[in-house]
Amino acid sequence: MFKMTHVIHTENLTKHYGDVHAAEDVTLHIKKAEIYGFLGLNGAGKTTTIRMLLGMIRPTMGTAFLFGQKVGPGNLDLWNQVGHLVETPYSYPELTVMENLEIYYRLRLLKDPGLLADVVEKLHLGQYRNTKAKHLSLGNAQRLGIAKAMIHHPGLLILDEPANGLDPAGIVEIRELLSDLAGNHGVSVFISSHILGEISRFATRIGIIHEGHMIYESDIDRLDQSRRRSLHVETLDNEQAHEILSSAGYSADFLSDGSLEVSGEAAINHPEKISALLASQGLAPKKILVEEEDLEHFFLRLIQTSKPSS
Amino acid sequence: MFFFVFMGIVMGLLMFVSQHPEIASRSATLSVKTSFLGEFSWAAYNDLLIQIILTVGVIGFGIITSWDFGREFSDRVVKDLLALPVPRFTIILAKLIILFFWSMILSVIVLVAAILTGLAVRIPGWTAVDWFPFLWNYIVCTVLNALLITPVAFVASAGRGYLLPISFIILIMILTQLLFVGLPGAAFWFPWALPALFSGVAGEAMPQPGFISYLIYGLTVLAGLFGTIAWWQYADHK
Repeated sequence: MFKMTHVIHTENLTKHYGDVHAAEDVTLHIKKAEIYGFLGLNGAGKTTTIRMLLGMIRPTMGTAFLFGQKVGPGNLDLWNQVGHLVETPYSYPELTVMENLEIYYRLRLLKDPGLLADVVEKLHLGQYRNTKAKHLSLGNAQRLGIAKAMIHHPGLLILDEPANGLDPAGIVEIRELLSDLAGNHGVSVFISSHILGEISRFATRIGIIHEGHMIYESDIDRLDQSRRRSLHVETLDNEQAHEILSSAGYSADFLSDGSLEVSGEAAINHPEKISALLASQGLAPKKILVEEEDLEHFFLRLIQTSKPSS
Repeated sequence: MFFFVFMGIVMGLLMFVSQHPEIASRSATLSVKTSFLGEFSWAAYNDLLIQIILTVGVIGFGIITSWDFGREFSDRVVKDLLALPVPRFTIILAKLIILFFWSMILSVIVLVAAILTGLAVRIPGWTAVDWFPFLWNYIVCTVLNALLITPVAFVASAGRGYLLPISFIILIMILTQLLFVGLPGAAFWFPWALPALFSGVAGEAMPQPGFISYLIYGLTVLAGLFGTIAWWQYADHK
């Protein structure tokens, strides 16, 4: 019953190709109306996991459930609730945008022709209706791919790197579209990316996969707590300041530019005490500030420090 | 489609050239090509058409099948056919049914183009021909060949493209020819030789197809069909 509340739920999803462990014990829980950012470097296992969620690859071990139903060859109704875009979207190159959408409309056994007009308008494909797919720019081909994923108003969208090839305006547009779907229409979105900074702008939850293993999972508002913060201090004599701080019990290190990095909650929460201490010794800081690790560094640090068991 | 019209017209024209050696003598290639045509009559022409549909059947039907299945992979659109509210075998059956009827239409195009050209170049003996057995033979050969597309569909799917199935067709063609020339007895066992054996155009030296020939043929068609379905259903679509 527990898994019924989750739109995506996987149990120890594993895929081995011979000696290559593409995905290892991937366990995911995605709730309704959640935008789940699934992060990893190229080759980390994102696409393998997504293809297992969509029944395109059979897991070596483990099971995937969508809307509480097991993903497998017999469960066809399931796909009425799921829209997907896997890797670079391709369409029939000799057919126009509308013809490609009509094929998909028929394959999905849809009965409301209004859906076609809706999705064309929503993704601003109107002026390309009669353009052959092979003549579309990468960004518009991507829109056509997203249109195919959304045409039937699914409750769950599984998107593999949908921002690829889009220009900055297109990225913002897709981000707003997805936020609107999740926030106002209760659609759950599972979206993969290799750029944490991009995903963290609109995801509500983040999962990071590395070398086939899930190494981190958190709600977006708790992400800040996981990011490393430190106090950067610069004085006229950093050597002496280092001694003063060390003897006062702070842990200070030199940064590459010669300034000091002081870590620990005591320093980060009370920089004024450090400032006062240094001033009392005649070394008032030139610069003192709390630095928060940026998202990409956080992402890379997590990946570098993770030690997968296999 | 133009290829099939072309095939029909070319046959009629070759027939015409064979009757007019003064044209052929000016072109070495033509004289070689027309020498196998036999006498200038509808009876000989119809035998030729049966041979044509036997060859065009394997190559032509095989190529459209390779294209229809292979393009899903080479255009990388196959992933759009997998997570749908429609079972995958329905998609395969739909493709095969369309390909079967498409093959039938193409063979009718060859026939019509060839007969019109034959009339245009005034091949004699129209009334002497027994048309019903000829047409029956022609249709059965077409159907037998059109059903043999299922193994091609399997090769196109497992090979994820159209290069492998087209090589497969060429291999089958060569193998069939070799059997007829080198090992006529073995043609009895070879499913792709069945249409030619059935037609009787291969000559007196060839064995008559028996129950076993039809059984092997039927099993090949079914193996192709179920192999394709199983592959789409259970293979990893990376």
